[in-house]
Amino acid sequence: MFRLLEETGFRRVRSAVVPRFRFRKASTQNSAEAYGVKAVMLTAERPAAPGG
Amino acid sequence: MSDLAGTQESLEATLKDEIIRMYEEVADHPEGEFHFYHGREAADLFEYPAEWLDRAPPGAVVSFAGVGNPHVRSRAQPGETVLDLGSGAGLDAIIASWAVGPAGRVIGVDLNPGMCRKAQAHAALTGTRLECHEGRMEQIPLPDAQVDLVISNGVINLSFRKRKVFEEMFRVLKPGGRMSIVDIVSAKQLSQSIVNDPKLWAS
Repeated sequence: MFRLLEETGFRRVRSAVVPRFRFRKASTQNSAEAYGVKAVMLTAERPAAPGG
Repeated sequence: MSDLAGTQESLEATLKDEIIRMYEEVADHPEGEFHFYHGREAADLFEYPAEWLDRAPPGAVVSFAGVGNPHVRSRAQPGETVLDLGSGAGLDAIIASWAVGPAGRVIGVDLNPGMCRKAQAHAALTGTRLECHEGRMEQIPLPDAQVDLVISNGVINLSFRKRKVFEEMFRVLKPGGRMSIVDIVSAKQLSQSIVNDPKLWAS
């Protein structure tokens, strides 16, 4: 997602993991961990000027 | 190529139905068991302040199905126009409306027109006005450069066309506008069986 945002034209892309995210069901959480699934906060800005 | 496009279209249509069904289930049967936390339990988990959850309509809180708190870094300001992609029953949109105040504007977009009506009704209970449009995040039903801030909570991961979603977010943002989203990512490529199963993808 980070790369996609930059390729789209967003700038100042920042991310942080949501530390307390987890699935409710243990089996789902186990599967999610196997795939490295996590929740992240992403912020980004559209440049103020064209090509900025 | 046309077979692949047709397959993707078919999967997207099925996924849309599954997404609508799943989130309606949360809203209509919040006592049910789901793979994910929802309602006040989820909002507490993601550190939504208790005073927000006490102030918001119970129907909006109990239907909450986000994966984090986009307001932590959103910096919504009075007078701004905010777009909530995948607005659901309206909790995040309502919270944003408190920040932008009566001079601001909050717009929700959701696949499910029924959810739009619920979100608007919930907003009205708090004395705020929420516009909500039925639509897809891959084709946001707004003109260019309308919005100061886009927020979203756990919905972009549901799209097969994330690049298109980001292009649309960029398009509707004013130059200098910003986004604050929370979503699910995976470090590894999901198996094809998951990608091809709308129920697994949606959950």
